[in-house]
Order: sequence, then C-alpha cells, then structure tokens
Amino acid sequence: MKCLVAIDDTDNLESVGTGELASLLSESVSARGWGQAGHVTRHQMLVHPDIPYTSHNSAMCFPAEMERDCMEAFVAYAMDFLRQESASGSDPGLCVVAIERLAEPAALITFGREAKRKVLQKSDAYELARRLDVHLSEHGGTGQGVIGALAAVGLRMTGNDGRFKGHVKIEAADRIATPAEIKHQSHVRVVQSADGQVLAESDRIRLGNKVKAVLLDGRSTLLVCRTDTNVNDTVRWETCSKQFLRSY
Amino acid sequence: MSPWLINENGEKHFAGGTADWALAAAAAQRCNGFVPDDEDEQVSDEPRSCYNCRYRRWQPDGILCLK
Repeated sequence: MKCLVAIDDTDNLESVGTGELASLLSESVSARGWGQAGHVTRHQMLVHPDIPYTSHNSAMCFPAEMERDCMEAFVAYAMDFLRQESASGSDPGLCVVAIERLAEPAALITFGREAKRKVLQKSDAYELARRLDVHLSEHGGTGQGVIGALAAVGLRMTGNDGRFKGHVKIEAADRIATPAEIKHQSHVRVVQSADGQVLAESDRIRLGNKVKAVLLDGRSTLLVCRTDTNVNDTVRWETCSKQFLRSY
Repeated sequence: MSPWLINENGEKHFAGGTADWALAAAAAQRCNGFVPDDEDEQVSDEPRSCYNCRYRRWQPDGILCLK
C-alpha cells in the first residue's frame, strides 16, 4: 500500500530541523522491515504574522510502500518518535495517508494549496482528516503542526510542489555531467530547463556546488539554466542557483 | 547605513526585503551571531548570509533577526 507521511513543527531555534527528523523516520521504514520509503520533500506554507511558525513555516513529506499491518505499526512508532524527538517548545504534527484508500484526493490537494495562501486553523485540518479518514495527530505544545503535516501531504500529491531534501550527489570530472550520468547516479529522473525544455541525454551541464532537485510532474527534476560562459562552447547549461529554486 | 530597522515591536527587521542578496551577505559577514540554518532552509547562494541564518525569521516582506 502506497502512503504519504508528513511531519511539521518539530523544531526550535537550537534543535535539529524537521527535515532531519523526517529523514530518520523514513529510514525507520526499511530498517524495521515495514517496507520502503522514498525521498523527503520540503514544502513551503504561507508566511504570515498570524501563523506561529519557528522561522520559515515549511513541512516535510515522504512516500512509503508498506503492507496494511505494517502501516499500523509504523504510525504507532512515528507517534512515539515525535513525542521523544521533537524539540522543547515545538508543536509537532503527524499525518499518514494511504493513497489508495483516499476517497477524495482533490480535497486534500485543495487543503495543501490553501495552506500556501491563507491562514488555516487546526479545526480545519482535523475536520478534513476526519472526513477523509486519514491519520492526523499532534504530539506536544499547541499541536499546530497538524495543519502543515496535512497540507504537506496534499502538496506532495500535486506532484508539483517542493524541493527534495539534501543534495543530489554526482561524481563528475571538472563538475561537468550529462543528464544520462546524473540520472544514473541519483534519484533525478528528468533534467530540464526552467521553462520546461527537456535536455538531450548527451547535453553537458556545469554542476553547481550544491545541486538540488525539485518535484515536478511527480518526478525528481533537476532544473538547469543557460550558461553565460561556455567551456569550449560545448557546455550550454548549468544547474539553477539556490536563489532561483527558492520559489519551489 | 545599518541593514536593520527597528520595528514598532522593537524587533530587528532587515532593510533589504526578501531579495537583497548583497546586503544580506554583507550583514552576515559583520555579524558574530551568524549560525547557518539547515541547508534545506537556505536560499542564498552566498553561504554566509542573513537569509541563511538559523536566527532569522521569515516575514511576508523580509526577515527578522532573532539574535
């Protein structure tokens, strides 16, 4: 059974971030024999004075493939994990959704999109979670993180929101690689320009210091921009900057 | 000119808005309190930048310094 797991608001200014806890939780899926987890994505919610986020109001989500009885064990573990690992003063929330059993995926997607543009309440999140019969729980503080956790699942379901956690690690001579090499060495499935032009497998790309992928059309996508300076006129692309990727 | 304005709540509000990359980098260079945030939360290509600091809080129109 394919499911999506999201957590939010587990940190404070001094603690490890929510992304790190999401990675540990995803690793527990295979380590404990429950199934296989995919890569973590970061989803940006609305920044607004009425929202009590720590510093940036983002939530983390990852997919996992588990049998139904394993899913129950995983949820129990995840709840306990958040209780133990979340930072003092945080307001953690957990959401776990079995995608195949979800009757109204559009409602969850709408909730995710709304969390990017308006202030939502905990009651909105719980009401939707009850209606859709998805797991939503809070584990300390005000429990405000349930809003971001539910929204992050909705946004991941769109297939078009968020950046993948961590760097795409690629070994390449002189930091030049082709899409074929990048895809062979990493979870990246598509290499395309920011305006949607998919690169040829043999195109040469200059890799930045820290290469990051984004979620587009449900796939891990490496975005590239045209270079200003060519190397022997054969390198016409370079990976997009962090500053460019901030809107994903 | 200081890159920080004090708002009505007594908070340090960055004068450069959400995308003055040079000013945010220059301010962080001079700051003893700079600590890089998790890499996934960094948005500036200049590693030492107030936009990348653990002690900044994003606002609709910029960042607050929490140090």
